[in-house]
Amino acid sequence: MATSGENIAMPADETKTDDYYTYVEGVGNIPRDIYKHVKSDPLGDLPRYSIHIVIQHFLTFLTFLILASTGLTLHFSDLWWSPYVMSIFGGPDVARLIHRVSAFFMIAASLYHIGTLIGGTMNKIMKKEFDVKRTQIPLLKDARDIVHDFRYFIGREPHRPKMYKFMYKQKLHYIAIIWGTFVLVTAGTSLLFPETMATIWPNPEFFQDLARLMHADEAIMAITVVVFWHWSNVHLVPGRFPLQWSFLTGRITREHQIEEHFLEYINNLKEIPEERDYIKKILREKGHDTH
Amino acid sequence: MELQRAAAKISLILIVIFLLSFVGLSVEAADKENCLMCHKYRQIGRIDEQGRKRSYFVSEYIYDNTTHRNVPCRDCHTYINKLPHDPVTEEVNCANECHIKPPFSSENFSHKKIIDVYNKSVHGIKPTDSPDLKAAKPYCKYCHMNPLYTKVEEERVASTSLNRCLNCHERKGVTQAYKHITHRLRHKTSRSPQEVVQLCTKNCHADLDLMKKLRVSEESMEAVETYGRSIHGKAVMLGSQAAADCISCHATNAIHDIYKKDELQATVNKRNRAATCRQCHTKVNDRFVRIDVHSSVGHSSKKPVLYFVNLGLGIAFYGSVFGLVGLAILESFGRRRDGICMQIKKGTSWRGVPKGGPKNE
Repeated sequence: MATSGENIAMPADETKTDDYYTYVEGVGNIPRDIYKHVKSDPLGDLPRYSIHIVIQHFLTFLTFLILASTGLTLHFSDLWWSPYVMSIFGGPDVARLIHRVSAFFMIAASLYHIGTLIGGTMNKIMKKEFDVKRTQIPLLKDARDIVHDFRYFIGREPHRPKMYKFMYKQKLHYIAIIWGTFVLVTAGTSLLFPETMATIWPNPEFFQDLARLMHADEAIMAITVVVFWHWSNVHLVPGRFPLQWSFLTGRITREHQIEEHFLEYINNLKEIPEERDYIKKILREKGHDTH
Repeated sequence: MELQRAAAKISLILIVIFLLSFVGLSVEAADKENCLMCHKYRQIGRIDEQGRKRSYFVSEYIYDNTTHRNVPCRDCHTYINKLPHDPVTEEVNCANECHIKPPFSSENFSHKKIIDVYNKSVHGIKPTDSPDLKAAKPYCKYCHMNPLYTKVEEERVASTSLNRCLNCHERKGVTQAYKHITHRLRHKTSRSPQEVVQLCTKNCHADLDLMKKLRVSEESMEAVETYGRSIHGKAVMLGSQAAADCISCHATNAIHDIYKKDELQATVNKRNRAATCRQCHTKVNDRFVRIDVHSSVGHSSKKPVLYFVNLGLGIAFYGSVFGLVGLAILESFGRRRDGICMQIKKGTSWRGVPKGGPKNE
């Protein structure tokens, strides 16, 4: 059974901070900042996403760009650039068809994702491998990690927090995507089928207005978060520039895994014998004790 | 003898008319009275009392391509009854009968019927109107001679298919008469939605000072703005030919019968709304018609929930932009301090040279 690194005993001869070393059975003490000395393949060393997640990301990525460019152009129809962009899509009468077809594929990707989640979770429960700490479910530890990481960024902590497979930023973003998809699909359905939805909403005069407002505002929010945050996180911030290949290979670099997902790396060490051998070699080179 | 002299008189008159008809061939058919004798000169005109230059030139070429090309001048300019005529002080009256007989009708043509419809509509001048309102209300020529409104784009009817008409019909006028009908068959209005919106808004409904002076309702004040924010307005603004313009909803096929929404004849009246929406929304139902078409979220009093939702979303938007960008900057700063480089080289970004901050080696 997979376990997280929380209950790992600390060696007695701890010289630095309390949690500088993490003891792993069969490997030895892993220093928290070993990621600065490991070699990484930019295409990724350790498993992170299944092929299903890669396909879903790719579908979402493509449809998101199409939906955003057609939708934003319509929303900002009174700005100077909008007629030019709209003409690329062949005018609003064609663009709305493109928008709807893309929406269909994005919803399909979302349903595919839900299917993967249910299927994958069932599979893990059957194999008794399910671990809530390796999922996107927010835990109290994430709140502590935020505080810890902020303290690190301003220089009050020596190391970044030891985080699970999904860190607080990713969980926050995941919740935002669930909420955003729910709102955009519901509001979009109301805009696409106003006659039918009018019979479903308790008072259509309010909900149609709300749908108009929410569809546009949520979309702008989603676009802004993707452009200003997601893109900077995966492309621009130091160590991730110019891009990470995870979205295609489904694998994460060793260095990134140890830095931001240390506890998941401990799981990797338990599951992948080659990784144990590699890290032992590095530890020996750096003069640390190994088994 | 009497009979013979009468016959000779009639023959003489007929011969003169016959000969005169040849004389008339050199001028246009509609200009039987040869008004163009003077009006064909480009420089004809005067400077009026206000010092404005008035041109009285009539371009034969343009006139021959208008809908009225077959109408004699004096059918509309009825007040002219001698030559040279007195200065013109009257406007033409489109309700006049002209000496044109429409096909399959024995009566002279007139716009009277549509003018009756128009006069009853909100745009018709009512005795109770204030002088300002009377002055501001549009009349036939306001829309039908508006700079936007010179010539209908008739190219949509393929000229090749119209040329086929000439296989049987000899006169070129048939093609033009056919176009006159066909451009009205395509849409509810012959004009594009963009032209209709521009016609209603420019100089009138978008002129908020004028609207304020005419004391229109609060909804009418914002009608142009709210339309521009609606999906109909946005699509039309970007060139859609399918989305609703002003006329699509505010008039029946009579085009001119625009009423205030409280009046029973109004297409946007509660009673008639279902039929109006059904022109496009075929699956319309009584709950659907309650949806606000000219919707606005700008009023905390009228739509408080929407107003505050909008406000909240705005705060959330700026909060997330600045919050997340701030976080990304803080993170970049915090991690760079520790010796990470902005590149991927040999698979690792760490150069192992911390720039200040905690030393771990």
